[in-house]
Amino acid sequence: MRKLGAIGKHAFLLIVSAVSLFPFLWMIIGMTNTSSDIVKGKFSFGSEFFNNVNRLFEQANVGTAFLNSLLIAVIGTLLTLLLCSVAGYGFEIYRTKGKDRLFGVLMLSMMMPFAAIMIPLFRLFSQWGLLNSAVAVILPTMTTAFMIFFFMQNTKSFPRELLQAGRVDGLNEWKLFTHIYMPTMKPTYAAAAIITFMSNWNNFLWPLIALRTAEKKTLPLVVSSLASSYNPDYGIIMVAIVITTLPTILIFFLLQKQFVQGMLGSVK
Amino acid sequence: MKKKALSTLLVTALMAGALSACGSSDNSTGNTSNSEAEGGKQKVVAWAWDPSFNGKALKIAEEIFKQEHPDFELEVVDMAKTDLEQRLNTNLAAGVTEGLPDILLVNDPNIQKYVNSYPGTFAEFTNSSVDFSQFSQYKVDALTVDGKIYGVPFDIGVTGLFYRTDILSEAGFSAEDLENITWDEYIEIGKVVKEKTGKYMSTINPNDEAWTSILLQSAGSWYITTDNKGNFVNNPVMTETLRLYKAISDSGIAKPVTGWSEFVGSFNAGDVATVVSGVWQIASIMDAEDQKGLWAVAPTPRINIEGGVNASNEGGSNWFVFDGSANKELAMDFLGSTIGGSSEFYERFLTEAGGVGSYIPAFSSEAYQQTSEFFSNQAIYADFTEWSTKVPGISLGMYTQEAKDALKNELPNILNGADLEKSLANIQQLFEQQVQ
Amino acid sequence: MRGSLNKSSLIGWQFVLLPSALILLFSFFPMVQSFILSFESGKGNVSEYVGLGNYSRLLSDPMFRQALFNTILYLIVQVPIMLFMGLIIAHLLNSPKLKLRGFYRTAIFLPCVTSLVSYSVLFKSIFAVDGIFNKLLMNLHIINEPIAWLMDPVWARVVIILAITWRWTGYNMIFYLSAMQNIDPSVYEAASIDGASKFRQFFSITIPMVKPIILFTAIISTNGTLQLFDEVVNITNGGPGNATMTISQYIYNLSFVYTPNFGYAATVSYAIVIIVAILAFLQMKIGGEKK
Repeated sequence: MRKLGAIGKHAFLLIVSAVSLFPFLWMIIGMTNTSSDIVKGKFSFGSEFFNNVNRLFEQANVGTAFLNSLLIAVIGTLLTLLLCSVAGYGFEIYRTKGKDRLFGVLMLSMMMPFAAIMIPLFRLFSQWGLLNSAVAVILPTMTTAFMIFFFMQNTKSFPRELLQAGRVDGLNEWKLFTHIYMPTMKPTYAAAAIITFMSNWNNFLWPLIALRTAEKKTLPLVVSSLASSYNPDYGIIMVAIVITTLPTILIFFLLQKQFVQGMLGSVK
Repeated sequence: MKKKALSTLLVTALMAGALSACGSSDNSTGNTSNSEAEGGKQKVVAWAWDPSFNGKALKIAEEIFKQEHPDFELEVVDMAKTDLEQRLNTNLAAGVTEGLPDILLVNDPNIQKYVNSYPGTFAEFTNSSVDFSQFSQYKVDALTVDGKIYGVPFDIGVTGLFYRTDILSEAGFSAEDLENITWDEYIEIGKVVKEKTGKYMSTINPNDEAWTSILLQSAGSWYITTDNKGNFVNNPVMTETLRLYKAISDSGIAKPVTGWSEFVGSFNAGDVATVVSGVWQIASIMDAEDQKGLWAVAPTPRINIEGGVNASNEGGSNWFVFDGSANKELAMDFLGSTIGGSSEFYERFLTEAGGVGSYIPAFSSEAYQQTSEFFSNQAIYADFTEWSTKVPGISLGMYTQEAKDALKNELPNILNGADLEKSLANIQQLFEQQVQ
Repeated sequence: MRGSLNKSSLIGWQFVLLPSALILLFSFFPMVQSFILSFESGKGNVSEYVGLGNYSRLLSDPMFRQALFNTILYLIVQVPIMLFMGLIIAHLLNSPKLKLRGFYRTAIFLPCVTSLVSYSVLFKSIFAVDGIFNKLLMNLHIINEPIAWLMDPVWARVVIILAITWRWTGYNMIFYLSAMQNIDPSVYEAASIDGASKFRQFFSITIPMVKPIILFTAIISTNGTLQLFDEVVNITNGGPGNATMTISQYIYNLSFVYTPNFGYAATVSYAIVIIVAILAFLQMKIGGEKK
C-alpha cells in the first residue's frame, strides 16, 4: 500500500515535470535548427547550432545586454530584499492600526496596471534627468508592496520567542532584525531572491521606456526586437532565449538549497 | 549601533547602483534630440524595427548620402514595432522630447493617427525637395492628411498570388488559369486542388485581418471612410468581402492557422498551394530551399464588383521627421536625397535587402528586371512593380485598428452563418461606440 | 505599558518609513496623476475635460464588459486550480525522504522562467489544427476530426487557462515550499505516530500552517489574473473575436494600439484597482485575520 502510494506520487511528479520541461527541451532543440525547420515543427536535433550562435552575435550586442541585465537584476534584487524585508518585519512585528492602514494603502499600488502609471513616471524621471540609466530602471521597481506583503505573511510564523530571548540578551531592535530575524528567515529570503531576480531580469515595459540607447538595452529588449522582424529567424531567437533563461535557472539552483535545510534546523 | 550598519549598507548599495549607472551613462550617445555636431560630425538618430530590412535600408541610404556629405553620421536604434509605438506614445504623451529621435519609421495605418493625435510633432514634406509625383499614387495618398504630406514614402506591400507550380499542375491548372482571376474562381480552383492533391489552397486566420484588408483595398474601399466613420453598412465592397471570407471558410480549402509562425510554417512545409501576400513575403517563401523552382507569382485575385482590380497592398511604411528636432533640416535633406529620390537607393534596397519601394523611376532599372530562379525564372519584381501602379489609392484614416477589432468581434458570428446585414450593423455600432 | 507600546510603535515606524515613502513616490504620485487624467478624453495630446464622462462610458462599453467577463472567468476557474496544484506539489516535494526531489523542484519551477516568446510559439503549435494534441486525440480515437482549439471561443479560453496554470504553478510552489520550512518536522512525526494518514496530515497540519502564505498567493494571483496580459496577447491575441481579451490588454490597446485615449485608459485601470481591492479585502476577511 505504502509502495503503491510512492509510485503514484512519483508518477504524478514525473508527468508534471515532463509537461513543465517539454517547452524547455523544445527550445534547446530549436537552437540547433534552422528557422524554417522550427516553424515546420521539427523535433529533433539539427546541425545549425554554431551557425545560429554566430548570427545572433553578429546581429545583436548580446554581451552588453547581458551585463546590463545582470547589473540591474543583481543590484535591484539586493535592494528589494533589504527594503522589503525591513518593511515586512516592521509592519508585522510592530503591528499597529496606523501601520495596518498604511499597508492597506500601499497594497493599492500593487493593483494598478503599470501601463497606467508609466507616463507620469516617465515624466518624473525625465525631470530628474535620470532617464537612460540603470538607476531609472531600479528605483521604481525596488520597493514593492508585493514583496513587503510576502515578508509580512512569512513573519506571521516567525517564532517571536526568539526576539524576546534576544531582548533579554540586550540586543536593540535593529540588531534583533539583523542578528536573529535575517538568519532565521533564510528560506524566505531565498524564495524572495529567486522571485525578485526573475522579475527584475525579465522586466520589460519599464526598461523599454526608460532606456533609450542601444548600449543600455537589456536582454529582453534584444529578444523582443529579434522576434518582431518581418521574417523572424526562430533559430537565433531560440539561442537568445536560452541565454536569457540560464541566469534565473542558475540562481534557482544556487538558492534552492535553502529550502532543503529548513528554518528551524538552522536555528537549532 | 547596528542601525548605523544597516543604513550604511543601504546607502552603499544605493550609491553602488547610482555610481555604476552613472559610470556607464556618461559619454553615451544619448541626448539624441539635440545631438548636434560633435566636432564637425553631423549626427542623425532614427528609430526603426527590423534591422535586417528597415535598418539595412537606412544603412544603404547613409552610404549614399555620405558620398556628398562625408561628415554625416546616422545612428539606428532598432526595436520591435510594438515597442517603438509604446515608447513613442509615452514620450509624446508625457510631453518629453528628450530621447526622441530625429527620424521615425511609421507604418501606413499609423500615419493619420500620429499626425492627428500629436499635432505639430511631425515635419511636413509637402514643399520639400521630394518629388511625390515620382511615387505610386496610393502610397502618397496614404501619407496625405488634410492636403499636407507628412513623410517620405518607403517600402510597399503590393500583393500577389504566390503559388506552387507543381501542386497546381498536378491538379490540372496552368499559369494562364491563374492570371487575373476572381476570388470565386480562386475558390473553385482551390476545391479541385484539395480534391486532387489533398493540399489546402491557402491558410485562414480569423485573428488576422490581412486578408480582408487586401480585398477591401483591391476595390478601393476600407474599414473606415475618409472622414473616419465606420464603413461597414451600405458598403458593397465590405459585404462582398465578408461573403467571400465565409465562402473560403466554408469551402474547406483553407487551413486554419492562428499565428505568424504557423502561417509561415504552412507554406515552408508545403501544406498549401498558394499564398496571397505582400511582396515582402518573398524572403520567407525562399527560406524553404527545397522548394526552389517550384513557385511562381500571379496577380492578386479580384473582387467581382465595379472597381475591383487584380492588385492590392498589404503593409508598408514611411519615414517621418520630428518637427522639433534640432537636426530637422539635415534629416529631411538626408531622406529627401536618398529614400525620397534616389534610384540607386531603391536598386540597392532590392538587391541587398529584398525590399520593394514605390519610387517609379527605379522600376526600369536592371535590379527590378532580374529574374528569380526560385520563382521559375519569372521576373517577379517587374511584375510586382507593374501591379503596384494599379493599386487603388485609399485613405487609411485614424481608426483602422479600432475598426478591425470591431470586425474581429463579430467575425465568429459571420462564419457561423449569422445574417450578414445584421452583423454589419452590429460592427458599425460597436465601432462607433469605440471611437466616441 | 503605554510608554513601551509607544516606543515599540515608534521603532516600528523606523522600519517601515523609507520603503513606504519610496512606494508613495514611485507609485502613488503617478497614480494620482493618472486619476486626474481619468477625467479627460481625447486622442493623444488633444484631450479635454469630460468630468465623469469616461466613467459613464465604461458602464456602457461592450468591449470592457467582454474583457471583464473573460478576466473574471479566468480568475474563478484558474486561480483555485493553480493554487491547489501548487500546494499539493509543494507538499510532496517537502518530504525529505523523496528521491529526485531536486530534479522535480527545478523542472516544475522552469515554466515561469521560460521565455514567453518561445512558449507562445510552442503552445500555438501544440494546439494547431494539425498539432500534436489533435494527433494524439485522434490516435486515441477520442475525436474523429481535428478541432481548431484556438478558433473556438470556449476552447481558446481553456487553452489560455492551461497556459497560465502551466506557467505559474511552479511559481506559487516556491512560496509554499519556503513557507513549509517553517513547519517543524516533528509535528508530522508525532502525527504519524498517532496514525494520521498523509492525506489527513496535509489538511490538518500543512494547510493551517501555511495559511498566511495561501492568503498571500491568493491575493497576488487575483491581482496577477486581473492584470493578465502576456499570455493572451502572445497565444490568441485576444481572439477568436474578442473571446479571450483581458482588461489589461484593453488598457494597452487604448493607449498604444488604437488612437491613444490615455484618459479612458486610466479610467479602465481604476476599474481594475477597485475590483482587486474589493476582492483582496474579501480574501483577507475570509482568509481569517483572526487575531
